[in-house]
Amino acid sequence: MSRPVLDVDGACVGYGGAAALARVSLTVERGEIVALLGANGAGKSTLLRAIVGLAPLQGGTIAFEGRSIGALAPEARIRLGIGFAPEGRRVFGALSVRENLDVAATGSRAARRRSAETVFALFPQLAAQAGRAAWQLSGGQQQMLSIGRALMQSPRLLLLDEPSLGLAPSLARDVFLRIRAIADGGIAVLLAEQNAALALAVATRGYVLRLGEVVHSAAASALRQAPAIQDAFLGG
Amino acid sequence: MIDTACVRDRLKAHAPLLLGGLILAALPILGGAYAQRVFTLAGIYALMVIGYQLIFGHAGAFSLAQGAFFGLGAYAAGIAAVHFGWAFPLTFALAIAFPLAVAALVAIPVLRLESHYFALATLGLAESAWLVGTNWAAVTGGANGLAGVPPIVIAGWTVARGWPLLLFVWCLVAIGGAMASARTRGLTGLSYRLVRERPLAAASVGIDGGRLRTLAFIASAGYAGAAGALFAHSLGVVSPDTLAFPVMVSCLTMAVIGGRARIAGAILGAVLLIHLPEWLRGLEAYYLIAYGAAALAVVIAAPDGIIGAIERLRPKRPIATPDAVGRPRRAAPPTGDRSRESESPILRLDGVSKSFGGVRAVDGVSLTVLRGEILGLIGPNGSGKTTLVNLLTGLYRADSGRIRFDDHDVTGRLAFDIARLGMSRSFQAPELIEEASLLDNVAAGDRGRSEHPPLIRGLSIEDRRLGEARAHAFDMLVRFAMAARANDAARTLGPALRRRAEIARALMSGPRLLVLDEPSAGSSSEEAAELAAILSDVAREGVTVLVIDHNLPFLARFATRLACLEVGRLIADGAPADVRAHPRVVEAYLGRPDGAA
Amino acid sequence: MATLAAQLLLNALALGSAYALVALGFVLVINAVGAVNFAHGDLVMAGGFVSIALAQVAPDAGFFLLPLVLIAMAALGLLFSAIAYFPLRSRPPVAVFISTIATGIMLQNGANALFGAAPRAGPAIAGKGMIAIEGLLLDRQSLAIIAAAAILIGGCHLVFTRTRTGRRLRATAEDPELARLSGIPVPGMIALTFALATALAGTAGLLLSNQYFVTPDEGMALMLKAYIAVVIGGWGRLGGALLGAVIIALFEVVVATLLSQPMAEGLLYAALLGILLVRPQGLFGEALGRRA
Repeated sequence: MSRPVLDVDGACVGYGGAAALARVSLTVERGEIVALLGANGAGKSTLLRAIVGLAPLQGGTIAFEGRSIGALAPEARIRLGIGFAPEGRRVFGALSVRENLDVAATGSRAARRRSAETVFALFPQLAAQAGRAAWQLSGGQQQMLSIGRALMQSPRLLLLDEPSLGLAPSLARDVFLRIRAIADGGIAVLLAEQNAALALAVATRGYVLRLGEVVHSAAASALRQAPAIQDAFLGG
Repeated sequence: MIDTACVRDRLKAHAPLLLGGLILAALPILGGAYAQRVFTLAGIYALMVIGYQLIFGHAGAFSLAQGAFFGLGAYAAGIAAVHFGWAFPLTFALAIAFPLAVAALVAIPVLRLESHYFALATLGLAESAWLVGTNWAAVTGGANGLAGVPPIVIAGWTVARGWPLLLFVWCLVAIGGAMASARTRGLTGLSYRLVRERPLAAASVGIDGGRLRTLAFIASAGYAGAAGALFAHSLGVVSPDTLAFPVMVSCLTMAVIGGRARIAGAILGAVLLIHLPEWLRGLEAYYLIAYGAAALAVVIAAPDGIIGAIERLRPKRPIATPDAVGRPRRAAPPTGDRSRESESPILRLDGVSKSFGGVRAVDGVSLTVLRGEILGLIGPNGSGKTTLVNLLTGLYRADSGRIRFDDHDVTGRLAFDIARLGMSRSFQAPELIEEASLLDNVAAGDRGRSEHPPLIRGLSIEDRRLGEARAHAFDMLVRFAMAARANDAARTLGPALRRRAEIARALMSGPRLLVLDEPSAGSSSEEAAELAAILSDVAREGVTVLVIDHNLPFLARFATRLACLEVGRLIADGAPADVRAHPRVVEAYLGRPDGAA
Repeated sequence: MATLAAQLLLNALALGSAYALVALGFVLVINAVGAVNFAHGDLVMAGGFVSIALAQVAPDAGFFLLPLVLIAMAALGLLFSAIAYFPLRSRPPVAVFISTIATGIMLQNGANALFGAAPRAGPAIAGKGMIAIEGLLLDRQSLAIIAAAAILIGGCHLVFTRTRTGRRLRATAEDPELARLSGIPVPGMIALTFALATALAGTAGLLLSNQYFVTPDEGMALMLKAYIAVVIGGWGRLGGALLGAVIIALFEVVVATLLSQPMAEGLLYAALLGILLVRPQGLFGEALGRRA
């Protein structure tokens, strides 16, 4: 294969005096879902925030499609083709569903509309709610909107932070199947998730983070079997 | 021996201030009568600014009424003296009492407002005062003001303009400064800092931030009134200008330029800015433009003012360890209520619900925590655990349902109030004062055993209370195996220690129920094991513990019961082994074992 | 009698329209940067003096003064944000409060130096005199004020709901970080908000200047009225603030007619404290349900 879509090499991030990430390296290829596993506080969110530029990198490099993006502002990285759905189903509550999607898009009115239609095709539940204010949506719909918003600039890399958060298991499975469909469309997905079984069910590969370090990485099928995962993930 | 070394150290540390003070004192000495007048005026402003620092610097509330309180004091003194012939000591007392009463009256609606709305509401108060001053001509003299306010006479002795008045004013500045210092140093100062920087944490250990802010607001009005009276008597006239906004701008600029929380800052700011127009005579009446520019420049370049910038340059002395303070050791760390051990509920939730927009975060949860047990609350991220904690500790108000703690119905009660009943907590994202030492962060959890300290008290009482709190906090740090970091600033601590610091602070108030939000997140397995041992120990002393965590092995070490939340609902509750084996828990918490595909 | 009542109502509506423009800009900035612009009233005052200056250059501009003032004040708004807001972006809101107060003081005293402290009358945008409609004699200038404000407020509404830039402004106001993550150039949006808010304030200054005169020290009172409008309408709600502005103007005109102008203002502040005591979330306000 050619060079990876995302290549993180030796990333270090520190908050205050303590290291939140210590020399983390990982890659994500086109069309694959890479699961980022670990307990709360292991550094999953910090890594995603570092990739989009919200957490300052203190060492290491981050390359997107071979280009180093460490010096770019977050909005510039998004415009390069990185979509990010942050933790906690964040949406613009006062804006309607359609407006939430529209503000995140670029290009002509027609192009923006086409992007929105693609998202609506992926999440038909959203299409039915297009005119409603986002704060009125259910948790599952907000999560879909958050992912949909991240897809509006036709990214080639999608970062998802705990998409299962606060969702009933059946809903969470539903969301994860859509994520698989997104990846099948050729987008590289990096998925931080606390629910390891769910994430590994759709992922290609996985990395296990612990106290800011990668302690394990393997194919998803191998990780599914590994008892070490349950341990690390549960913090044992 | 030690004492002389100590004195020398302090002299060295304060040398720039002493030098500055000498230079300032030289101004009136070298300058003659006019310089004396200007310097007297600087003292009057300094008194107002010292009061302003209470509300703005210590309580952290941006009041814009200080100028109006100054004017109200000036008018109160002027009217009492001109219309009713009162003598100075009485006019002075009235000038303090009147703004103080106005402040007390408006404190209730105004102080619960968020920062900018508070600022605007106080500005509304100031505009009202100005309108009354300019329009109620019969009493205030309207736009012309009141003339003929007599000079200060005390027991037959007239305080003449020039040196006597200058010294009189600056004596009052010294007294006012000492009183303000007594109210804001030591343990109370630490409480103010916690209220200002981490209001949620302050409430969680039972500090009534509203009360502290109210006291500061009322006291600030008294200082402004006193300054206003001195202004009226030393100038001999009171005009509506004393109520106008430029007075407030001057006061704010002085506090910003000098420093928001130090008496030296108030004095420096007042002296500098009163002299500024003298030094910039070319600007004539437009000195306020220079004020604006100076305030803007300082806010951008030196956010803590000149005194703050000087202090930053000076190396920080480490806080004396409690041993050096001489430790009046308190008897054992706080212990819970052992007399009514186990089997009776300490906390009971009954059908509690909370929604945010279309999301039901907590959905009809009923849960009982028994005295003396350690209940672990588990559930996937986003299942409503933190919302539940925020509901029972009073940060959120439940949409429906009741919460009983001990014998009290705490539904809808305020956070600090619930904390005082004996429930304290830690936060998922630790709420620490980042620039303060670990020791002081923990000591801040001690709100002092004497809830209502005497109104007037010496400096030593506050320092002793702080000394005791630090000694107690040091014991707590020893217990949590982090005493070696006592003097380090909170921002330098790693995630595991930050969480421990919060737990230690929560224990300082001697709670009967300790509520912990993810105490093991970011800890290594060794650190988690150590924490579990400490918490077991705490529980053995009779403190009931409700702990949210994901780390099942960590909980398994010490929890006596587990409950599991999923999408806002309680799906399992029972012995740890049973809950962990419960099929719905396995599915909700670990994901379906056979996967989703 | 009917004519008098109609005149009074027209006056109140005209005043309310101008206040509404002030309040609109005030809320836009609060929503966008989470801090109060204490110089907002001084920007209204600056708009009045800019109008006077422009009218001297182009005495016959009439209604065309409006776009000129809009453009000039938008530019001032950009400058203002560069001085008083952007250097303090990452600081607590109090720093912005202080910087805007300081900048307001500079504006106020700058106007004092250039134009003097006495009240000055600004240009009329629709000529002097009365128009007879349905047998009622109505003041042309008042009607022009209402029309101008209606056009501007309607235009803002269209921009916010129908254009992508407007939606992006709203998105930025609600959650700046999420806005960045949506690829929205947040600093640009904030600068644009200041430009728009200042342009609206300046237009209000133009509209008020003819009938109510301009004085350098009127800013604080105007800013307070915007604030009271927000208190009446509910925190951060644009529509509520507009309604609040009209209510304030009605109150002021009626009380000033029956009693006196200072009485009207004094009672307004008393009403403010009363509302804060009874309904701290605002008279018509209800906080948007959002997760803390």
